[in-house]
Amino acid sequence: MTPASAKIPVTVIGGFLGAGKTTFVNHLLATGTARTAVLVNDFGEVNVDMSLIASHDGDTMTLTNGCICCSIGTSFIDTMCRVLDAPVPYERIVIEASGVGDPWKIAEIALIEPALRLDQVIVIADGSRIVQLAGDARVGDTVRSQFDRCDIVLLNKIDLVDADGLAAARAAVQGLRPELRIVETARGAMPALAQLETGPSLSGFRVDSPSLDGTDHGAQFSSWCYRRDGAFDRAALADALADMPPQLLRLKGSCRLSGQDGRTIFQMVEKVWSVSPDTVDDIDHGSDIVLVGVGTADLPAAAMLDAILDRALVVEPVLSFTPYPAET
Amino acid sequence: MASGTVVFAARKIITMNPSRPFATHVAVREGRIVATGTAEELCVGDAQLDTGFADKVLMPGFVEGHSHIMEGLMWLMPYVGAFDRRSPEGRLVTGVGDIDAIVARLKEAEAQLPDDRAALYAWGFDPLHISGRMLSRHDLDRVSTKRPVIVVHASFHINNVNTHTLERAELLHATNISGVVSGPDGLASGELQGIPARMRLFRALGNNPQSGDITEADVNRYAASACVQGVTTITDLHNDLTDQTVEVYRSATTAPDFGVRLVPALASASHKPEQAIAKLDMVREHCNDKLHYGIVKLVVDGSIQGFTARLRWPGYHNGAANGLWYIAPEELPRLVDAYHRAGIQLHIHTNGDEATELALDAVEAAQTALPRPDHRHTLQHCQMADAALFRRMKNLGVCVNLFANHLYYWGDSHYALTMGPERAARLDATGTAQRIGVPFAIHSDAPVTPLAPLFTAWCAVNRVTSGGRELGRDTEALTVEQALAAITIGAAYTLKLDHLVGSIEAGKYADFVVLEEDPLTADPRRLKDIAIWGTVLGGKARKAPRA
Ligand SMILES: [Zn+2]
Ligand SMILES: [Zn+2]
Repeated sequence: MTPASAKIPVTVIGGFLGAGKTTFVNHLLATGTARTAVLVNDFGEVNVDMSLIASHDGDTMTLTNGCICCSIGTSFIDTMCRVLDAPVPYERIVIEASGVGDPWKIAEIALIEPALRLDQVIVIADGSRIVQLAGDARVGDTVRSQFDRCDIVLLNKIDLVDADGLAAARAAVQGLRPELRIVETARGAMPALAQLETGPSLSGFRVDSPSLDGTDHGAQFSSWCYRRDGAFDRAALADALADMPPQLLRLKGSCRLSGQDGRTIFQMVEKVWSVSPDTVDDIDHGSDIVLVGVGTADLPAAAMLDAILDRALVVEPVLSFTPYPAET
Repeated sequence: MASGTVVFAARKIITMNPSRPFATHVAVREGRIVATGTAEELCVGDAQLDTGFADKVLMPGFVEGHSHIMEGLMWLMPYVGAFDRRSPEGRLVTGVGDIDAIVARLKEAEAQLPDDRAALYAWGFDPLHISGRMLSRHDLDRVSTKRPVIVVHASFHINNVNTHTLERAELLHATNISGVVSGPDGLASGELQGIPARMRLFRALGNNPQSGDITEADVNRYAASACVQGVTTITDLHNDLTDQTVEVYRSATTAPDFGVRLVPALASASHKPEQAIAKLDMVREHCNDKLHYGIVKLVVDGSIQGFTARLRWPGYHNGAANGLWYIAPEELPRLVDAYHRAGIQLHIHTNGDEATELALDAVEAAQTALPRPDHRHTLQHCQMADAALFRRMKNLGVCVNLFANHLYYWGDSHYALTMGPERAARLDATGTAQRIGVPFAIHSDAPVTPLAPLFTAWCAVNRVTSGGRELGRDTEALTVEQALAAITIGAAYTLKLDHLVGSIEAGKYADFVVLEEDPLTADPRRLKDIAIWGTVLGGKARKAPRA
């Protein structure tokens, strides 16, 4: 038997089509340091960023899944064998399950193969669609069964829902398995693997699990979501950020900058911040600005933080398009 | 007649051309049909008369609209299915109907292997055909305790192995994994399901027999099976078309003696639509008389007998949970639309009626967005469609290729377990297709069931299960004429090759099946037993091997 220390940890990422699996894979690559092999489905909603893979000396393999030849997993098995037999061993394997597949069926690879160790099965749910999908006549059973054996759920795209929508999405997931850990995420505000592994008390993200006394285990940290239409003035933004209270540890997300086309990825850790163009085609039609902040438990109220950033907004004439009236 | 014309004389020629349904002679030049008629009409000028088939019956060569190249690979291993099959060498391989017979067949094969401890693989096992009994590791230990013994199920999704294999794969005690089925003693029974167990198995044995590149020998074996069964046009209905495969197909089909016309379908699962469309543009350059690229296969759900097909309410008769989507329902319309816009003909695998309904929704949306005359998108298998779904097919211009062989092989299971009496009676509803006027074919899905269009036609005519139960015989059975049309011009139509093959008429390829008996006068219950002499492909006669 291979000693446990020498086994390669395997993370399986499941979730229905469009939940954000590939976005998360890209995020893991950008934030991780291990030499990672990534096995992805070709039909991921966003392509895996090859430059991220290259920068970590890792590798990506695309899989196919179909019928007769493919549903018996020939492509997957061949690819996995190549990973296991790599001359320089990988330090981590991340497998993106098919959007209509059961991630547990893939995860069992790590239980059965002596060279592997199952780290986590992470299922990503689209916070804006999970209620509808879980109840859908055609795909509801497929969607619900993906949560049966997972370790943690990333409730993603929470920037696209209001408070009621978020509560409903959480209820939909908790209705399937009340004990499930749920981490709320959005593009630009996703946790690193290490944060998910270390459990709620050390995670900078809101990791909830219901407990008997009803206390929130995420309470050691607080998060804040800032959402606006419009754009920031860059200089005013710099001033506003300088005024942010020290309790704010991190701020990430996407925004628009006045005078620039397209969205911008924004990242700030402590007081150091950067912006970079968002090259990924945006399929979300949410707000222009979505930033998720994480701070210590005594982070000031959201309204106060909102007010600081609002000072950096440019007031621009609103261009509105009138679609054909629904009723005439 | 111009020089170089050969006139074949026959006892009878069934042309499948309604404007001249029968003849005694057919004139052939440059591989194509000049005319059909009588001796007086055709034996003129310096036409050369060939009387080799004077006592035989000619029909258009059979068209198998849904089979797989894998059929050409299976015969390297011993066959352990319950029903008789014919090998590419024309050898009748009898079925093995119980565990002892399976073990005896495997022992025989084992004795022929060198004493090198190499693995023994076998194929074709289906527990549903031996009253649900599973092969245990103990059964297979009787074959060998020194070398791995692996029996691949007819479904290709499950393997049964001996104890030696389980030990090598470190799986004997691993029964907490869902794919490693445990036996009564709490240890692994030898049945391995699912991808993780299969991967462990192949890693322990050091190879994956189901991967690897196909060779020209495999393609030639496939062509030999076609000749044995009277098939002159055959599909390979799900292929990634790697560069290596494309080269093997080019080389095999351009060899002067290659014995069948091959129609591969590009597997949509391995490509994004824009890549697939570009790839088809590239491989089309390799098309020749015997190689026809252009169609794309989509696989929407699984299989009914594996409980992975997607069913509408009331679902599986025995209460099993609904099956699996292989393409997400919201993804299918996007895929169909992309190929439809590119002018590509789609072959869409849908076994369960929920999958069929979804596929029709997708075609309807694509047709609404961009009406395309004569697209001939074809539903493959489509085993559970009711009359309302067939009416939608008709209205949308969709064709269907029904899996008639299922009636015989799994009809009893469909009656008792999967569909229940009413739905099983209209399983693979050829009669409904005929009544409503949906262009249709019938198929084998070889190697899932045997490649043998006359057997497939027999299934559609007799609608009898292997257990002897008739399923909707009064309402869904075809006449012999209709069934023969389905395995010739009907199948050619679903492949958009009906201008080239599928009937014996002027201008088409001179592709014939040469029969010893007239299927139209034989007892319909003997349709499957009619002897096949061989084929004529492009005017060239080839006697089927008989071993
Ligand atoms: Zn199929
Ligand atoms: Zn098939």
